[in-house]
Amino acid sequence: MAQAESYGYTVARLRAMENRLLDSGAFQRMLDAEDLQGALKVLNETCYSSWLVEMKNEGAFDGAIEAELNYVYRETEQFVPDKALVALCKMPYDFHNIKVLLKSSFLQKSGGSRRWDLLTRLGNVTPEFLIESLESEDYRLLPFGLRSAVPQLLAQWEQFHDILEIERQLDDLLFSEMLKLAAKLERKGIVEWVRGRIDAENVRNLLRLRRMQVENSRIAGFLHDGGIISVERLLSLTGEPLESWGRLLAYTDLTGALSQLQEISDFDRLIVDVEKALDDYVLRIVEQTRFSSTSPEYVLYYLWLKEMEAKNVRIILVGKANGASRDVLRGLLRHVSG
Amino acid sequence: MDQVVATLLNTMSEQLGAMIAVLGAGIAAGFAGSGSAIGIAIADEAAAGVMTEDPGKFGLALLLLALPGTQGIYGLLAAFFAILKVGLLGGAAVKVTIWQGIGIFGSLMPIAIACYYSAVAQGKASAGAILLISKRPEEIGKAVILPAMVETYAVLALLLSIILMNSIKL
Repeated sequence: MAQAESYGYTVARLRAMENRLLDSGAFQRMLDAEDLQGALKVLNETCYSSWLVEMKNEGAFDGAIEAELNYVYRETEQFVPDKALVALCKMPYDFHNIKVLLKSSFLQKSGGSRRWDLLTRLGNVTPEFLIESLESEDYRLLPFGLRSAVPQLLAQWEQFHDILEIERQLDDLLFSEMLKLAAKLERKGIVEWVRGRIDAENVRNLLRLRRMQVENSRIAGFLHDGGIISVERLLSLTGEPLESWGRLLAYTDLTGALSQLQEISDFDRLIVDVEKALDDYVLRIVEQTRFSSTSPEYVLYYLWLKEMEAKNVRIILVGKANGASRDVLRGLLRHVSG
Repeated sequence: MDQVVATLLNTMSEQLGAMIAVLGAGIAAGFAGSGSAIGIAIADEAAAGVMTEDPGKFGLALLLLALPGTQGIYGLLAAFFAILKVGLLGGAAVKVTIWQGIGIFGSLMPIAIACYYSAVAQGKASAGAILLISKRPEEIGKAVILPAMVETYAVLALLLSIILMNSIKL
């Protein structure tokens, strides 16, 4: 890892780039728009404008959002002293692509069609390379432990046809690879951020599994090791009512996110609220770094803000396209202002 | 033979005092200048980062970048005082004993040490202030005051060095 002092330029530049993030006023104007066209018009006045002109039709806004994110990742990669920091943020996209490709391959075998339209260019490895590797069954150059994992998962599918298990194993691998990469960077803040992301995913999984009424004995397999809160501690929550989760984890920073669980009226709405609070929790882990002019963790902070901005834009545009109410959409928006 | 050695030692001791004072002047100017160079480089990195995205901030950034440069000037000023005192910059030649030379050397140490460290620290403070103006250019007044606080200690060191130097009677 480069010395923190070498991050002076990087942090300053990202601070200046932060000015281009959409503020609450821009989101408000998008929310106030009558329809999708109106929201896109507002978006056209922002840094997304250069990508919106390339949009073939109104519904293709996902491409514009992805192009803006991709631009920010590429730009940041060019000047950040440790490229691994950006690789860390992009890694989930590589695993997303692998999941899409594996599922497409399974679908194809059962007579379905491939869904390569779901692939993203945001990963560290291009989708073309992944497709070629899978089609030629040459996994040697696949990164992040996928080299050995992919053939194993393919063999497992042939035997059990359990897609949930395959997804679970890929998520496990993703988080262990993220932790490995973070450990190599030798910064406590970076490792804590990854551990926080594992916590957030674990809590999200716990809630989803409870909604699906999965047996407690099966839940352990869906929780990932390495988080700030141990799997054992999280498993002990499964027997408790949701309202007490916040109290039981009061010694952790997660308690703020879990305070949402106090007022349960609609489970679906509750999951959405908690997911939003979990995204804020991940942001808060590296939030203090914005007061330092040389902190490498600030790269994670900025990129996470950008991810949240893209998420907000997507929520508003999808909502507008489907006629969702302004108040519902406002409730879904993440914290973005730096 | 003994007389030659005695004359040589006498001449050496007369010049050694002045040379010790010159050494002090060199250290003061060198350390203060190095500190300023490091401080400006730290602030420069931040300014370059901000200006890559917003070149219009050059004027504001320049003001903050210049702040760690003052320590170099203080070091040079103190060094000039010292070499003036020992009569190396024109005027009548002054006889400086070894102890007087050591005294002048010691009087230059506050400026050498305080200017080096305060310039580096001010560079960091300026870098932080540059980040501040990257988001809020209207706060330039406050942004200048924050690193300027560090300057106080360089000014105090300069003051002390001058007082100490003046207290040495040649």
